Parts: sequence; structure tokens; C-alpha cells
Amino acid sequence: MTHITQTPPTSAIRARGLTKVYGSGEAAVHALRGVDVDVATGAFTAIMGPSGSGKSTLLHLLAGLDGATAGGVWLGETELTALGDTALTRLRRDRVGFVFQQFNLLPMFTAEQNITLPLEIAGRPLDRAWFDTLVSTLGLGDRLDHRPSELSGGQQQRVAIARALVTRPDVVFADEPTGNLDSRAGAQVLSFLRTSVRELGRTIVMVTHDPSAAAYADRVLLLADGLIAGDIADPTPESVLAGLDALRALDEVH
Amino acid sequence: MLRLTLAQMRRSIGRLAAAGIAIMIGAAFVAATLLSGEVLTRTTYDAAASQYGDADLVITQATLADSDLAALAAVDGVQAVQPLDTGGADLTGPGGHAWVTVAGRADDPRLDAVSATDGSLPAADDEIALPERVADQLGVGIGDQVQSTVQSWAADATQPTDHLSTLRVVGLVDAPSAFLSDGGVAVVTKSVAHDWLALSWGGQDVTYWSASVTLAPGTSTADATTRISQLLDGTGTLVRTRDEQAAANAAELSGSTWALTGVVLGFAAVALLVASLVIANTFQVLVAQRTRTLALLRCVGAERRQLQRGVLIEATLLGLATSAAGVLLGIGLVQATLTVLGDTTDVPLPSTITMTPAVVLVPLLVGTLVTVLASLAPARAATRVAPLAALRPADTSVHQRSGRVRAWLAGVLVVVGAGGLALGMAVATAMSMPLGLVVGMLGGTLSFVGVMVGAVFWVPGLLARLGRLGGRSAAARLAAANAVRNPRRVATTSGALFIGVTLVAMMSTGAASVTRTFTSELNSHYPVDVVLESVAMDSDGNPALPSDLVDEVSAVDGVAASAVVQQAVGLTVTGPDGDQTSVDVYAGDATALAGVLNDADQAAALGDGTILLGESDAASLGVGVGDRVPVTGPDGVLDLEVTATDSAMAMVTTSTLAGLDHGAPASDLWLALAPGADPTSAVTDIQDITGAETDVVVQVIGLAVERAFFQRVVDTLLAVVVGLLGVAVVIAMVGVTNTLSLSVLERRRESATLRAIGMTRAQLRSSLAIEGLLVALVGTLVGALLGIVYGWIGAQILLSEVTSVALAVPWRDLGLVLLVAVAAGLLASVLPARSATRTPPVEALASE
Ligand SMILES: Nc1ncnc2c1ncn2[C@@H]1O[C@H](COP(=O)(O)OP(=O)(O)OP(=O)(O)O)[C@@H](O)[C@H]1O
Ligand SMILES: [Mg+2]
Repeated sequence: MTHITQTPPTSAIRARGLTKVYGSGEAAVHALRGVDVDVATGAFTAIMGPSGSGKSTLLHLLAGLDGATAGGVWLGETELTALGDTALTRLRRDRVGFVFQQFNLLPMFTAEQNITLPLEIAGRPLDRAWFDTLVSTLGLGDRLDHRPSELSGGQQQRVAIARALVTRPDVVFADEPTGNLDSRAGAQVLSFLRTSVRELGRTIVMVTHDPSAAAYADRVLLLADGLIAGDIADPTPESVLAGLDALRALDEVH
Repeated sequence: MLRLTLAQMRRSIGRLAAAGIAIMIGAAFVAATLLSGEVLTRTTYDAAASQYGDADLVITQATLADSDLAALAAVDGVQAVQPLDTGGADLTGPGGHAWVTVAGRADDPRLDAVSATDGSLPAADDEIALPERVADQLGVGIGDQVQSTVQSWAADATQPTDHLSTLRVVGLVDAPSAFLSDGGVAVVTKSVAHDWLALSWGGQDVTYWSASVTLAPGTSTADATTRISQLLDGTGTLVRTRDEQAAANAAELSGSTWALTGVVLGFAAVALLVASLVIANTFQVLVAQRTRTLALLRCVGAERRQLQRGVLIEATLLGLATSAAGVLLGIGLVQATLTVLGDTTDVPLPSTITMTPAVVLVPLLVGTLVTVLASLAPARAATRVAPLAALRPADTSVHQRSGRVRAWLAGVLVVVGAGGLALGMAVATAMSMPLGLVVGMLGGTLSFVGVMVGAVFWVPGLLARLGRLGGRSAAARLAAANAVRNPRRVATTSGALFIGVTLVAMMSTGAASVTRTFTSELNSHYPVDVVLESVAMDSDGNPALPSDLVDEVSAVDGVAASAVVQQAVGLTVTGPDGDQTSVDVYAGDATALAGVLNDADQAAALGDGTILLGESDAASLGVGVGDRVPVTGPDGVLDLEVTATDSAMAMVTTSTLAGLDHGAPASDLWLALAPGADPTSAVTDIQDITGAETDVVVQVIGLAVERAFFQRVVDTLLAVVVGLLGVAVVIAMVGVTNTLSLSVLERRRESATLRAIGMTRAQLRSSLAIEGLLVALVGTLVGALLGIVYGWIGAQILLSEVTSVALAVPWRDLGLVLLVAVAAGLLASVLPARSATRTPPVEALASE
């Protein structure tokens, strides 16, 4: 893996020496031990690795949801690790989108209200054309007046994706977005994510356990024990499985 | 199972404690009320008993001459007799003078009502013992001399005769409560006391109304009573033991004490009712939050009954613990009050409280019972948790449909209740006030319960509407959506507040309307604040007031305007039917009178060529407003237009009077006091000036004092009532905070999600503030509105005998309630907001 010292203009996210330690002293857990990552603009990146390897932690740090113990994260030209809470919140609001494993829709709002919520929080007007594009691409047209409790898991996750994209963020982060879905609904969600990269020009970073889900991405980063342990370009389910097997073999050597 | 309950309680200890505050306040209220009742009763009993010293028997309702006393003392077994009637004397010392009640030494020291705290009681006729306060006032101590003045009135004298003597102070005495109103009792020898009393009887033989008796050791009380009764036979005299007499005296006073305690306990019941709503809500939320745990327990085989019992045990423990804390708080409060009062007032309150079992047991039982009852519904909800719920993802938002039965019940109650209120008003006007009051109260209670039962329907709707007023910002919309998420919960929370506010608003509206009505009544009965009138010693009519007196009085602090008024005595007014009435007519400059008349209508009715008549004169003449009547005076006859028939006295302008009786003396001065001026001190100042007047005798009539007194009584009562009901409002506010924090805990993940997708801390905080505000405002606004209506109707019924009831809205009080609600709503959101904004956004991504 080559280190790029000069950020190329195409890099949407950059992390250097990213370290995260939970707790202190005896009980300290080193979730990340100096990770360097570059994510290109307009790329669909998947992060994989064994349970407890630090995938979620990395995603949180890249998205500005949590502070790093050491190291830096840049979103475009902005250094996240130097921002205060309010500035970070603004940045999340205006430039980042999230898709959660548990959907995290607000139960008292309808699908439409959930989708437009980030704009309301920002006090920004709704771009109707963009909203309609999202709704029709995601096939939510006849479900807009329903509350989350009246939607299936796949539909809820599609609402969550629309909510993540409605502000036209620079980057969308997704932590196991298909973890709670069956394979058909999962495939729908993943193909939409890929569409939004190909056709809408978004940058997406996704954590997943599923090799066939990872195969939708342009690139797979393998994480083991808080360090980058592999980088697969143009993955297929087979190449991903092979990479994971290699990791496991590495583990057994230790 | 008990172990599990305890473990769960420990986990929710903070939430339970917050709810427990509500019960604690309620229980403290009950305990403090019961204790105060005991203290009051004991104080009245002590006061009643102290004047009898250590007497064995007390004789009352007697007519005892000196010879009777001697006869009594000679009765077999009687050791000593002491008359209880007291005289009085004016004492003068270097520091000033004071009027004191005077008692004589008893033959038996056991009958002395007071004892010497310093020095001794008098043994010789030129000695006196004084209450400490009186000694201070006179500027004397033990060994100093005071001069006494006792007045006697000879049978046909116009002046009293002063009898002076000089006495030496030999001791200071305590002031037992029975003599408190007189500033204590001074003690002289028996013979001096008898002489002074005889002087004030003006030479007649003194007879006593009551006396105390001690018996020789070994004498049977019953036998002695019989012998004494036989001696005093046939005069309606009562012979009782000291304790019987004290109890009889106390009963007279304490009938009202216990009635008062009963009323205050009524307020405590309101506070407890509100507390029960807070508790019910808390348990509902706790059960909802524990759905998963409960379902898991069901999965592993727990029975429904076990879950229900778990909740009830929890409620019992909470109720016991917080009620006990409440009892301690109540006891502490009353003891603290006694300690503070003991240091600052002369009221002889006991220095420590007396504990009775009721003081501890009643609040403990009531508090626990209320808690358990309040948790019954949530406990039933716990049993309804299906084992399957453990497997479903937690969804805390509840969209229950409230029953149709409930809607019907609420509707019927409100309609029937409103009918009852209307009927009550009609009955009060047409038949009898008490009956109307009963009907009206029934109607009011029914409609109030109806509104409470229907809260599930109107609270969310109103919240949504109010929320829309809050603006279109994300924070406001989120707040409104969150507030109505759980209709039942928010209905209970607002309902608790609603009860307290309705009662407060009702009381203050009722009181304001009553005051307003009486003010307009008073305005026509007492047209001016203060009247100075020179008093004639013969029938020639009143002499004119000296002009320097007028100037001096007008300059008194607090006097805002004055009008010199002429008084024409005995003018003749002829009615349309030829009836004639002799009327005293008052006249003044129209502008000056307008400045002092309280009733603006009367001031406006006054003009040249018009006459204002009093109600009774107008009625006997058969004239009404607009009629013209001939008025005859020594200087002529004028045809005057009647412009008012509700004046307290007949009034014309000076120029009108000139044509009737131009020589009428300016014998009156009418004064208006500045708004806010203390009428008592102003009138006292005026009396000082008129008292120094030597040429004429001037009577000062301080109508404003009377009115101020009336106003103060109403204000004080209202303040007490509102204060007591305020406890309920405070408890309800605790409920708002508690519900809000619990809801925020439930919404941790949502808060984190909102933070993750870009909501700032400030936005989240303001959203919660708006939510708290909305919940507080709904209960307060509806409560205030309903309270005004109830207050009005109540005033209408109570004053149905008064011709026109002036309805008033106590804007200031209602504004205050609203302000408190707003502040409390905002305050209620502070703690929950802290915990919500501290939730790191990462938690939104965490799986459970
Ligand atoms: N808040 C926390 N406090 C303490 N330790 C934590 C915390 N969050 C994560 N960890 C630890 O950090 C390490 C990495 O956790 P992380 O959640 O990033 O793993 P992951 O790769 O996402 O695992 P999974 O695939 O199971 O989701 C783990 O050992 C975990 O126990
Ligand atoms: Mg993870």
C-alpha cells in the first residue's frame, strides 16, 4: 500500500495516523492503532473485517460522530479533528449523510417528514425535483404518508437512504445498512447505493459483514485488529471471501 | 421475584425518586395539617385553662356578691375562693403610660393566675407586680414607683373622677395567654383589687360573674360540687372542675379549629390527587420502558400475576419510603415554624410539637395507599405484555385508540355538569342560595370530572394547535410532534396541572368578583373615603368647620382631594303625588365633589338644577331618575331634576343650594385618599388634628378604613387558599419534569439520530424547552379558563341576593399563574435537555 503525502483533488476523505483508545490504564481498548485511509470522490467503498476489528469505530471517526485519540481526518479541505461540537454538527448536517443499521426513523413523523427532516433542521428549502428523483428512484412514491411502523424493513431503510441523500451530501456513511434486511430487500438497497454513486455522483463508505454486499462496492478495505490489513479493488464475492480467509489465516498465525 | 423487583427499583431509582417527591409533598402536607390542628387545639386549651391557676372547681354564670364569696369560703371542704373578674387601671411611669388589666392576689397561692418571674407578688397595699412588657413600656423596674389612675363615674356626673395612688413595683410576672389581648395582667393585693373594681362600678356593690375554688386536701370533688351547687341554688350557675371548664372553653374556640383543619385537609386531598396522577404516569412510563424485560420474564415462564405483584410491591415500597420522608418533612416544617414564631411573636404557642399516632400513621397510610392505587392501572398494563414483545424491536411510541365509552362518558358528564351549574344559578336566584350552591357544586364537580376524563381527547388536539403557534422551525415541530406522541401520558401530565390551576383560578376569580361587587355596593353606600362633620350640641344645625382645620386636614399625608360641603337640614321635597319628605341636603362645588366621590356615575349626575336622592327617600316619594321635584328651603322653592336615586345622601351643587338655603353652614369636609395610601394612618393623623380642635366638636368617619379592613380580610383568606392550592400546582410541576425526563430517556436513540444528522445541541435543547412549555401551557390555559368560569358562576350563586354581581377577572393573579407555568415548563426541560444533549451521536449507530 502506497502512502500519498499530497492529497489528490479527487480525495473526498483522508485519514492519517487515526488512533482510538477506549478507556484507560488496564482496561484500555485500542480500537484503532494508526489507520491511514483515502477515499476517492465518487467512489463506493466497503469496509470489512472480523467482529471487533474497529470498523464501526473507523466509520464514526471518518464521519465526525466521535473524536479521535490521535491522528487527523479531513473531509475535502476541512480538518474534522480540529472542529468543535457545533461546527462538527453543522458539517454533518450540510455535508454528510448517514444510513443506520436500525434505520433510526422518527416514529411520530411520516416517511416524507422523515426524509425532509435534515433540511428542516438546517432551515434549508426543499429541492422538489431532487426529492421527486429520490422518491421515484427508491420506489417510495405511494408510501410517503405512512409512518415507520407501517413500513417494511426494506422500505424503512430506503426512507433512511432518501433522508441521507436529500441534502446532497459530499459523503454518505452506512453502517451495516443491510444487516436487518432479507437478501432481496438488501439487494435493492445496495443497487440503489451503487446507482447513487454512478448516476448521482455521491461518495459512499459502507461497513458490512456480507461479502456479496461488499461486491457492490468499487473497493473493499479489510480491517483487522485496528489496522488496515488489505485493500481489494473491483471486488467480487469470491475475491472478498479470499481476502477474509487470508485475514483469518493471519489470525491463526498469531 | 422480590429480588428482581428490588434490582429493577435500584436501576430506576432516580426516576422513582423524582415521582416520590410528589407523594412526599402530599404526605408532608397532611402531616403538617394534622400537627397544626393539634397545636391549635392545645393552644386554645392552655389559654382556656391558664386563668384558673390550679383551681379544683370553677364557678361561672353566677352573680356573686362579696357576701356570697364569704359564704362559699365557709362551705365545708372549700379552702379558698378567688373571684375571676378583673378590673383595670391606667398606670404612669417615667417611660409613658399604659392601661392594664388588674387582678388581686388570691388567698390560696394555687389560685394565682400568674406567677412572679422576677421579684415577688405584692404583699402590701402599696405594692404591684407588672407584666414585663408593661414594665418596659412604663420604663420601670423592680423597686421603682408607678402612679395608678382609676376612674369612677358618679351616678349623674358628666365627667369621671380620677382616683390616684402611688405603688411600688415589687415583681415582674409572666403573661399567661388568657390575658394576652390585654397585654398581660398586673397583680395587686386582694383589697386594692376589690377597691378599684368597686370604683369602676360607680359605687354600686360589686358582683362577680365567675370564681375559682380550691378544696381542702382529702375533700371529695363531687361532694364539694354538690354542696356549692346547693348554696348557689336556682341561679343557673355552673360548677365544674377546672378541666371540665377548660375543655368547655376550648370547645367553644376549637369547634372552629377543627373545622379549619378539615378545610385544610381538603386542600391536602387535592394535592394528593394530583400526586397520584404524577405517580400513575411515572409507573406507566416505567412499565412501558420495561416492556422488553417484562416480556423476557414472561418468555422464561413468569406468570402474569407475578409481574403485577412486582409492580405493586415496587409502588408499596416507594409509597412507604416517600410518605415516611413526607411525615418527617411535615414534622420538621411545623417544628421550624413553631421555633421561629416562638422567637418572634408573643402568641403563647407550645415550643415543641406533640406527636400523636395519627400524625404519623395517617399520612403514611394515605401516601402509600395513593401510590399503590395510582400504580394499579400500570400494573395491569404490565400483565398485558405478551412474551412476544421481547422479540420485537422496541417501539416506544404508542398509538392507542382511546375508547368510545370514555368519550361518551366525558361528554355526558360535561353536559350534565353544565346543566347542573345553570340550574344552580337559577335555583339560587329564584329559590334559595344554599340549595343553589349545592346544585351548582355538584354540577361543577361533574363537569370538572368530565373534562378530566376527556383530557385524552382535548389535550393532544390542543397541543397540536398550540404547537403550530410555536413556529415552523424544526425544533418547534419536533417539540409539538413529541408532545402528542403518547396522548394518555401527556393527558395525565397536563391534567394534574389542570386540576391545580383550575382551583387557583376559580378561587381568585370568585374572590375578585365578590370584592368587585362589594366595592360597587360600598361605593354607593359610602360615597367618599373620609367624612369630617362638625357635630352640633343643640338642634340649631351644625356649625361651620374652621377654615384652618380644613387646610390642615387637606395637608395630611395620603389625602388626595377634599371638598367642603354645606349641609342644609330639613329641606322639603314634594313628590308627584303630593307626598312630602324632609331631607337633609348636602351641597358642594361640582368639580370638587367629583374629586372626592368614589362613584363616578354619581359625580357625573351632579350639576346645577339637579338633585341626587337616596334610595329610601326616592322610594317614599315615588320618584325616579328624570322626574322633576319641587324642593322647598328657607330661601325659596326650586324645581330640580332627579338624576340619581341610589345616592347615600341627597346632594345638590352649591349654586343650586344658594336658591334654597344660602346660609347653610359648610359643616362637612369630604376627603378622598390617594390610591395606595394607608387609610388607618391617614385617619389617625386626621383624628389627631381634629382632637386638638377646641372651637367645634368634629366627628371623623373613616369609611375607607372599614373598606380597607374588608379588603384585607378577603385578600388574606385568598392568599392562604391560593397558597395551599399552590402546593398542588408545585406537585403537578414535579410531574411535568418527571414525565419529560422519562420521555427523553426513552428517546435516547432518537436524540442521538437527530444529533447525527445535524441537529445542534442548542436546537435539541430549545426543542425540549418548547415541549415542556407546551405541556405546561395546555394544562394552565384550560385550567385558567375553566377556573374563571367556575369562579364567576360561584360568585353569581353566592351573591345571588345582591342585585347586580360585578364579574371580575383577576388578570394579575392569572398572569402570575401563567408566568409560573411558563417558567416551570422551561425549568422542567432543563434537566432532561442536559441528558439529551449529552447523548453522543454515536449512540444512534449502536445496535442496542
Ligand atoms: N464505547 C466503547 N467503549 C469501550 N470499548 C469500545 C467502545 N466501542 C467499541 N469498543 C471496542 O473497540 C473495539 C472495536 O469496536 P468496533 O465497534 O469498532 O468493532 P466492529 O468492527 O464494528 O465490530 P462488529 O463487526 O461487531 O460491529 C472492540 O473491541 C470494542 O469492544
Ligand atoms: Mg460495528
